[in-house]
Amino acid sequence: MSDVTLDALPPRRFSWRRRILEGGGLWPAVPALVYLAVFLVAPIVTLLGFGFVTLDRGQVADGSFTLEHMTGVLTDPLVWRLTWRSFWVAVVATTLTLFLAYPVAYAFSHLQGIWRTLLLVAIISPLLTSALVRAYAWIVILGGRRGLLNQTLLSTGIIDQPLQILNTSMAVLIGMTQIHLPFMILPLLAVLAERDRRFEEASLNLGAGQVATFFKVVVPMSLPGIVAGFALVFAVSYTNFIIPQLLGGGNYSTLAVQVYEQTIVVLDWSRGAALATLLLGSCFLMILLITAVGAHLTRWSEVPK
Amino acid sequence: MTQSLFDRIGKAVLIGLACLSILLLVGPSLIVIAISFEPRGYIAFPPSGFSMHWYGEVFQNRQLMDAFLTSLRVAGLVMLVCLALGIPAAFAAIRGRFGGKSALNAFLLSPQMMPGMVIGIATLFFGAYFAWRQSDLMLVVSLSVFCLPFVVRIVMARLAALDPGLDEASANLGAGRAQTFFRITLPQLAPSAIAAAAFTFIEAFDNVTVALFTSDVRARPLPVELYYLVQFESTPMIAAISALQIGFSLIVLVILARTIGLDRIGR
Amino acid sequence: MSDLEIDRLSKRYGKLQVLTDCNLMAEGGSVVTLLGPSGCGKTTLLRSIAGFVEPDAGRVMVGGRDISMLPPNRREVAYVFQNYALFPHLTVAQNVAYGLTVRRRPRAEIARRVDEALGLVALSDFGGRYPKQMSGGQQQRVAIARALVLEPKVLLLDEPFNALDAQLRLTMQVELRKLIDRIGITSIFVTHDQAEAMILSDKVAVMHGGQIEQLAPPLQIYDRPSTSFVADFIGRANIMPVQVRAGRTDTPQPVPTPRPDGPAVMIVRPENFEVVPGNVAGWPGRIGFATALGATIEYEVDCGMPEALRVSMARAPGSGPLAQGTDVTLRLRSTDGAIVLGRGAAHV
Repeated sequence: MSDVTLDALPPRRFSWRRRILEGGGLWPAVPALVYLAVFLVAPIVTLLGFGFVTLDRGQVADGSFTLEHMTGVLTDPLVWRLTWRSFWVAVVATTLTLFLAYPVAYAFSHLQGIWRTLLLVAIISPLLTSALVRAYAWIVILGGRRGLLNQTLLSTGIIDQPLQILNTSMAVLIGMTQIHLPFMILPLLAVLAERDRRFEEASLNLGAGQVATFFKVVVPMSLPGIVAGFALVFAVSYTNFIIPQLLGGGNYSTLAVQVYEQTIVVLDWSRGAALATLLLGSCFLMILLITAVGAHLTRWSEVPK
Repeated sequence: MTQSLFDRIGKAVLIGLACLSILLLVGPSLIVIAISFEPRGYIAFPPSGFSMHWYGEVFQNRQLMDAFLTSLRVAGLVMLVCLALGIPAAFAAIRGRFGGKSALNAFLLSPQMMPGMVIGIATLFFGAYFAWRQSDLMLVVSLSVFCLPFVVRIVMARLAALDPGLDEASANLGAGRAQTFFRITLPQLAPSAIAAAAFTFIEAFDNVTVALFTSDVRARPLPVELYYLVQFESTPMIAAISALQIGFSLIVLVILARTIGLDRIGR
Repeated sequence: MSDLEIDRLSKRYGKLQVLTDCNLMAEGGSVVTLLGPSGCGKTTLLRSIAGFVEPDAGRVMVGGRDISMLPPNRREVAYVFQNYALFPHLTVAQNVAYGLTVRRRPRAEIARRVDEALGLVALSDFGGRYPKQMSGGQQQRVAIARALVLEPKVLLLDEPFNALDAQLRLTMQVELRKLIDRIGITSIFVTHDQAEAMILSDKVAVMHGGQIEQLAPPLQIYDRPSTSFVADFIGRANIMPVQVRAGRTDTPQPVPTPRPDGPAVMIVRPENFEVVPGNVAGWPGRIGFATALGATIEYEVDCGMPEALRVSMARAPGSGPLAQGTDVTLRLRSTDGAIVLGRGAAHV
C-alpha cells in the first residue's frame, strides 16, 4: 500500500441525521429532564416567587412585586429565635448521631456471618419504617406520667417525681438522633466496611496502640464518609418539622414548623414562601460550609498527581 | 496477645456505644410491637395481656382502610413513573457521550437536596397557579419527583459497575443493539431495578413530609391519616398500625435480601 | 544486630493448616527470603513475625528474646507492606514521623530523624508531598524510610517490588540490598520471584504447603535442592525415576550416590544435558520441539519416558537448532551435577 492511498482515505463522518438520532446517548434522559423541569424547577421557582408577590386566592395580583414579606420575615425576632433553635437542635442531634453511628459502623466491619446480617437488618429496617412510627414510639416511651421511662424510673425508685421530657427540646433531640441514625450509619459503612486493614496493621507495626490507630488512621481516613453523613443528617434534621411537632408539643416551634403552619394552618402563603426561602437558603449555606470544611479536612484525597 | 489497659478501655467504650446505638435502632420498634397486643384501652408496657383486639379495630376502621388503599394506589403509580423515567435517565447518565454529563447527573439527583416539605409546598403553590387542587394526581407527581433520585442513583451504581466489554462481546457475536440490550444489559440490571422499585414504593407509601401538602384533603393517604392520629390521639390502635407497617417493611426487606443480597441495600 | 529465630511455628485456619512446624534462623544482619508459590504460607509466616497473625504453636525470637506474646505495636520489627500502606491522609514526612509521634518523641528529635531517614532514601525534598503524588518507586522508598526511622531490630518486607514495573524492579532490588548492607539490619523478604530471591538473599527458605522445604544459600538451593519441589520451583529440572544399585544409579550414564539401594529420583538441570548426534552411551531420543532463544537453544527430546526431557544448550553464533525428528543421544555434561534424591523427597 502506498502513501497516496493512505492520504486519499476520506475522514469518517456520520450524517447529521444519525448524529441527532443518537444524540450522544442523551435521548433516554430527556423524559426525566422534562419531568423535573416542569414538576421540580417550575414549582421551586413558583415557591421562591411567591415570597415576592401579593396573592389573591392563590393567584398573583397584577404588578404586585413586593419585598414586604421577605423583610417582614427577616426583621421578625421570633423568626430568628426559631432559626437559631432549628440550627442548634440540628447541630446537636447530628453530632450525637455521629457519635452513636460511628461505633456501629466500625463494629459492623469487624463482624462476620450471621451477626453481620443481623446488624445490617437492624440498620436498614428502620429506614423502611416510617418516621411517624418511630416518633410515636418515643411519645410512648417519653410521654407523661404513663410514659414507659417514667413508669420504670418511678417503680424502681430512681426518681420520685415524673420527669418532663416529652414536649421539650430534649425529646426533639432524642427523637431526631434516633430517627436519623441509619442516615449516618450508611455513609459510614460505605467507607468503613471495605477499608484496607493494612493501614491499621502498618500503624500497629509502627508502634501505635489500638486507640491511637483508631484516632490517627481509621477516623481520618473515613472523613469523606463522616462529612457526607454529617451534611445529610444536618439537612434532614434542620428541615424536619414532624419530629418537633410530635415530640416538642403544641407550643414548640422551629423554622421548619413555622413554614408548615403558615402554609397549611394560617394559609398565609406569601409568608410561608418567604420562610421556606429562608429555610432553604440557610440550609444550603450550612451544607456549603460543611462541605467546605470537609474538603479542607480531606484535601489529601484530592491532590493532583 | 496482651493489649494495654488503655487499649482495652477504648475497646470497651466503643462496644458500649455500639450496643447503645443498636438498642436505640431496634428498641423503640420492639416496644411498639409489644404495646400493640395490649387488650385495654390505654398504653402500658409490658402489656397487661395479649390480644389482637386493636388489630381488629384497625381492619374495621373504614377511614384507615380507605387511606391504606389510597396509599397503595399512589405508591404503585409513583413506583411505575419513577422506574419509567429513572432507568433510561440512568442509562444516559452512565453510557452517554455528550457535553455537560456531570451537570445532567447533578440535575437528575437534585431532588435529593430538597427537603420533602419544600417539594410539597412548591408543588402545591405551582398547582394553585393553574387552579390545580390537591389530589391523588398531585400527590403522585410530587412524590415521584421526590423519589426519582432513588431510582436514578441505584440503577446508575449498578450500570457503572457493569462491564461494557460484555456489550461489545455480544455485538461481536452478532447481536444487534436491541438484542444486546434485552438479552445482556437488562438482565444484569434487574436486581437493581427491583431494589429501586422497592425503595420507591416504601418511600411513597410512608411519606408524610411531601404528602401533607399535596394529598387530597378528603381522601388522605395512610401516613397523613396516621400523622393526625398520632398528634391528637393515644390509643394502642396506633401501635397496631405501626406494628403492621414494621411487619410489612420486614417482608420487603426479606424480598430485597433474596433478590439483590442484603449487603447491596443502601449502597 | 539481632538474630531472628522462628521455632516450630504452626497455624491453622479452621480445617486449613497454613503453617506446619516452621523453623528458621536468620543471623544478625543477614537477608533471608521466603520463596514459594502463592498459598504456600510465606506471607502468613511473615505476618506472624510482625504479630498480625497469632500462631497456634511455636515461638518467634529476636535477639534471643521471645516476642511471641507481644502485641504488634511493641515488637520492634518493621514491616513494609506489599502496596506500602502509606497513610494517604499524611504527608511523606508525617508518614515517616508517625512511629516517632506515637512514641511521643520530642519535636526536634522527630524532625532530625525524619530528615535523616528521608536522606537515606534520597527523598529529602519530598517531605511535604502526599503519597498519591509520588511514583511507585518513590512510595517504596518512603515505606522503607518509615520502617527504618524507628531503628527496628528486624525488617520484614512483603513482596516489596510487586507494584513496580520490570525495569525499575531490578534497580530497586540492587539499591535495597546495598542499603540493607550499609545499615546491617536482619531482613526477611517474601517473594514468589526466584530471580529476586537470588539477587537479595544470603539464604533462601523455599516454602511449600505451609512448610519450609529447604533453607540454604541461593546457589546451594539451585545446585543441591533437597526435594524435587525445590528443584522444579527454582529453575527448571528434569525429574526421572531411577533405581540405585551398589552406590550408583541404573541410568545409561551411572551417577554415584551415597543412597541405599532401591527406588529414587534423579534431577538433571536442562543445561547439564547435551545433545550429541549418533549412538553413544546416554539417553537415545528424538528431537520433539526446538526453540532458539538467542543465547541458548532449548530442546524437548522424546526419550520414551512419560515426559520429554528438556535440554538447554549454548548457541554458537550463526547456528540454528536441529530439525524436529532428528535421532540424537542425550549425555550428562557432569555426573556430579545430577542430584539423586530418595523417593520421599519426590513430590511436586
